Amino acid sequence: MCVTVSQNLVLVYTSTDRSVATLFAYVTRRVLISVPLLVIAMYLVHVGVSATVDPRSDFYLCLPRCQEGFDSITETYALDTNIFLRPFTYFASLFSGDGLGFSSSVGEPVGEVMRTRGWNTAMVAIPAFLLGAILSLLLSVYSARRQYSFGDYFFTSLSFIGFAMPSFVLALIIQVIFGVKLEEWFGIKPFNTGRKTGENFWELLRDITLPAVSLAILGIAADSRFGRSSMLETLNQDYIRTARAKGLTERTVVWKHALRNGLIPLVTLWALGFSALLSGSVVTESIFSWPGIGQTFLRALGDSDLDLLMAIVMFTGVLTVVFNLIADVLYGVLDPRIRLG
Amino acid sequence: MNTTRRSHKLLAMTAASALVFAACGSDDDASTTTDGEASTGTDAEAPVETDGEAPAETDGEAPAETDAPAETDGEAAAGSDGGTLIWAHEQEPGDLHLDDPENNLSITSWIRSAMIEGLFGISGATEYYPELLADDGELTTNDDGSVTGTFTMRDGLLWSDGDDLTADDVVWTYNTIMAADGETEDGDPNYIYLLGDRTGLDTITDISADGNTISITWSSFFAGYKGVLNEVYPMHQFNADPAAAAAELNDGLREWTAPDGSTIASSGPMIFDSWEKGVQMNLVRNDAYSGSNSPDAKNNGVAFVDGVQINFVTDTDAQINALQAGEAQIVMTQPQLAFEDLASSDDFTVASSAGPVFEHWGLNLNNVHLAKPGVREGLAFAMDKTEVMAGLYTPLFGDSLPAEGLGNTMWLSNQSTYENHSGDAGYGAGDIASAQAALEGAGYNLNGDNVYEHPEDGVLTLRVGTTGGNRLREIQQELIQAQMSDAGIDIVIDNVEGGAYFSEVPFSADAIACATSGGAEGNCDIWDITQFAWVGGPWPGGQVASYRAGGPNNPYGFANDAFEVKADECDATVDDAERAACYNEIDRYVTTLELDAENGLFMLPLTQKPSFYGFTSDLSQAGVAPDAQGAGPLTNVADFQFAS
Repeated sequence: MCVTVSQNLVLVYTSTDRSVATLFAYVTRRVLISVPLLVIAMYLVHVGVSATVDPRSDFYLCLPRCQEGFDSITETYALDTNIFLRPFTYFASLFSGDGLGFSSSVGEPVGEVMRTRGWNTAMVAIPAFLLGAILSLLLSVYSARRQYSFGDYFFTSLSFIGFAMPSFVLALIIQVIFGVKLEEWFGIKPFNTGRKTGENFWELLRDITLPAVSLAILGIAADSRFGRSSMLETLNQDYIRTARAKGLTERTVVWKHALRNGLIPLVTLWALGFSALLSGSVVTESIFSWPGIGQTFLRALGDSDLDLLMAIVMFTGVLTVVFNLIADVLYGVLDPRIRLG
Repeated sequence: MNTTRRSHKLLAMTAASALVFAACGSDDDASTTTDGEASTGTDAEAPVETDGEAPAETDGEAPAETDAPAETDGEAAAGSDGGTLIWAHEQEPGDLHLDDPENNLSITSWIRSAMIEGLFGISGATEYYPELLADDGELTTNDDGSVTGTFTMRDGLLWSDGDDLTADDVVWTYNTIMAADGETEDGDPNYIYLLGDRTGLDTITDISADGNTISITWSSFFAGYKGVLNEVYPMHQFNADPAAAAAELNDGLREWTAPDGSTIASSGPMIFDSWEKGVQMNLVRNDAYSGSNSPDAKNNGVAFVDGVQINFVTDTDAQINALQAGEAQIVMTQPQLAFEDLASSDDFTVASSAGPVFEHWGLNLNNVHLAKPGVREGLAFAMDKTEVMAGLYTPLFGDSLPAEGLGNTMWLSNQSTYENHSGDAGYGAGDIASAQAALEGAGYNLNGDNVYEHPEDGVLTLRVGTTGGNRLREIQQELIQAQMSDAGIDIVIDNVEGGAYFSEVPFSADAIACATSGGAEGNCDIWDITQFAWVGGPWPGGQVASYRAGGPNNPYGFANDAFEVKADECDATVDDAERAACYNEIDRYVTTLELDAENGLFMLPLTQKPSFYGFTSDLSQAGVAPDAQGAGPLTNVADFQFAS
């Protein structure tokens, strides 16, 4: 008896046969499937971006006086080639020693941009993820255990507000209250409105806090709802009733027996959410002037920086694949009945 | 039980709502006086050092951040010396090589304007003034038709590292820019230094230095001669061989680093210090600065502030928040609506200046309707630019721009050479009666839908297009659309999202083929009216080039032999005043029907866009920048001064 959960994941209630070899084969297969998917995605993105942006747009108004510059850009991006063939020029350059190319919008090699901006994004994404995951977990358990209590309604209301509120509104509200108004109201200024000063650890903490909290709240709003539903369902299972009948303490029932199963939907959300956070948040990073991948993506888009756009798309694709894979593997860890098929 | 649950729900919702309302609290609080801590970053905070990615420090001769600025002209407001001016801005340059065709951002020129000077600068009136030169120099026409300019450098000019800034630097800069490595496939010189446009440089036949004097000979007079060599580089930091130096400059200018790893020396009031990409750039005061020659400058000595920190804040609201949080002292951003809150606060000053950018409508003369002069006049008469100005700019621009909008495509309203040709012809005032008379004179009659219709060419429906996503421009279009509707002209807004509009619509190969062939080839139905912005300057050579017949930059289809002759004459006129008058004359071909009743009036200048600046009141004196072509907030950076 089995229930298909996803394309490659099978719940097998009878088998506990999981070996490292099986895991390795599964991971290898998933990775191999992902490569052509990524290539197709990159091809489509390249064609799409090429069709909508023209790196020479500023030059049309000064021709023929700036013909030299116009021609230079045409050659750099192979703009005289058919739009459907241009991606192959890009792929060829990837393997010709040019690497990821040079970012015209940032003025650095794309690899270097991805390294520095990726790290900056991670500096915000990791605390945002940890904060979001911990709080959403606690709120899920709290709301499930105290269904229809004042606290449950309160946090449910907050979650809905978080759901409904556009991320840029939330970010600006947080920025205004904690970055600007606190000083007016109380004469204290614990946080900066944005930007990475990098002067020292404490200054960095002041810089990171607001964007991280902003991102975390967005995650908490969604995750706590799913977690609550999952925990409620789990707490009504027969085995939980059995555990209670055996005389186990409520704490043991909830935190030891219910939580592992209740966590499974959250693992999927966390995996996708964390990969999204690491891919950069365009809105939040822009509002807090955080020099991460999201802000860089926006800039690359505005400046028709094809090489950088492609690298970010590739990076996002790889992260999505990797974290999906991690989520699948974690299912088996959380629930031994789940086997990777 | 249910009652309890409902009350819990109600209480919870109320609490949550209270939190949200608190978060969205009234902006009236913004006017609350803040304490002195709002000036964070102003006192003794030198620009922040960055990590090892920043360009290396200067060679030790860089000015220390200590000495008080010297000599001023006495007009400076009382204030203290020192402090770091923090400017929050949304744009960040890719690199500092402004001449690289891939990097022509305004922000790049704005930053560089604080560090490097040239033979001539551009004033707030969008006119040239001698910057490194002692005066305007002299021009002599030679027997062979060539023109020689003799220019004298100011005395005592120094680079920031203490070396003399001389005429040799000017000659070396020219030779470096023009150094070539063989020829291209087309037989043109294969220039090494990256520069998209060598107009005016490529007709220089001889350049030499003699002491403090530079002699430049052009094969024929070049009207934009004051714009060439607008930046001079320090020869002593680069290879003496121009070809080698050109390659070095291409590399070094990106991060403002000389081949030996030191910072490129400055001739302007600021020296490049460090740059953390995506975060901030730091400049420090050049204590060897010889002082500004700008007619707008209030401080003719070295800068009052120790340095400038440019924070790259991409979101407009976040810039305002940074200003209110004391994390920046100056912002310059769009849209101007963001400044309205600031303007009502005593803690901030909002200033505006006439910007260099102007919007206009270009008309396709090969369109079946627009080919008729009466239709073009109908558009011009029906348009009410005063309403557009009042709707978009009046609340803040004050009297920095004419309320009647722009009436010239060669000169801007803040230039002494400006004439309102559209206004003189009665255009742009929302004259519906005249518009309808013009249309009826062209054979149109109002149909049942109150739209004019031609018995052969059908209903007068015209598409106006531009790059989508620019809300200010879209509002402008909607306002004019309503005005045209009142006159019986149906305007359809047909914008294209993304940056592809110009390349795919008015400047597409088919559209240009139509324009250059007089409608015989290509596709003349791709566009009717195009709206876009140009940057004005002290020499309207770009505009003239785009009006010339048969060029790839003339999608309008305008062709007039008399215009060509007159344009050549303008470009060849040596006297500045006469040349300006000449350009005014040919503008009347473009903006009126006076000189070409058949093909004239194919451009409808709309509005000049003002630039807005917000300052914290910590600044006792702000160098409100003349926002001329290539200028920006740091143009008069030496003027900025913090309050005592």
